[in-house]
Amino acid sequence: TLFRSPVKLPDAREEAIHHAEVVQRINNLIANGQFGRLFAVIHFASRQWKVTNEDLILSHADIDAKCGDKIRLEKVLLVGGDDFTLIGKPLLDRDHVRVEATVIEKTESCPKIHMRFWKRHRYQRKRIIVHPQTLLRINTIDRKST
Amino acid sequence: MTSRGTPSRFLQSVLRNGLGRYVCQLKRLTLVFSKEARSSHGAREFIEENIVDFAKQNPSIVMYVAPQKCSHPKLIAEYLNGAVKEEQINRKTGEEIVQLVQKLANQSGLDIIRIRKLYHTDSPSIQGQWHPFINKPTSLNVKDRKS
Repeated sequence: TLFRSPVKLPDAREEAIHHAEVVQRINNLIANGQFGRLFAVIHFASRQWKVTNEDLILSHADIDAKCGDKIRLEKVLLVGGDDFTLIGKPLLDRDHVRVEATVIEKTESCPKIHMRFWKRHRYQRKRIIVHPQTLLRINTIDRKST
Repeated sequence: MTSRGTPSRFLQSVLRNGLGRYVCQLKRLTLVFSKEARSSHGAREFIEENIVDFAKQNPSIVMYVAPQKCSHPKLIAEYLNGAVKEEQINRKTGEEIVQLVQKLANQSGLDIIRIRKLYHTDSPSIQGQWHPFINKPTSLNVKDRKS
């Protein structure tokens, strides 16, 4: 390690007061809406994605929604902005965050070749695999739900 | 051919599609079929039963029906980004053609090749990108002048 001198731990009471002040300040920030762009960690299609506004996500799954439908992604594990982060244990409350997305495209993937070949045994099998794909655009991440 | 031998692209959408409003990317669908041939039977069934409902559900798609003398009927789909896709509907049933047409309407005209990343962001870092000197004491940066 680069830093070798002994670590000084702060006093427990002072630390508790300081923590309460920080939490109060952050609650005020959030209540006044003084935050900029938020990011969120979302559990969707058996994967976790770190997501902001206006970005794209591709999942190898078929969703029931049609193209153009708006979806609310409910399993949010973490929300963060420039000054604060809210970490869920393991998920955050539905009333605190709202992540909205639009289904843009529902295609098929490019054809993937699954081939087995054993040399000198006259054995080969070829199979072409095509998955369904769904493209989502994350529209907004709101701190309060309506 | 594997991923290295075939072309690939990054994930994108056509002109920021979902941001303000969703726009269906299919603009024109031309159905070329024959009036008498056996191979166009499904196409004729599609025209008799399903095409009007489909056109009403998707008012932004222009549908053309072109009866010609052809042995292999086909669907020609043209997209907003200029891509043209031809699909053979030779000897398909009306229901298969319905599903195919719905699939074409759900696609954008971008190439169906290997997509390198399953995500795309324009703002990758909000709290600042990590570098090894974050949360380290600034005394590391101080050098004593030996004089």
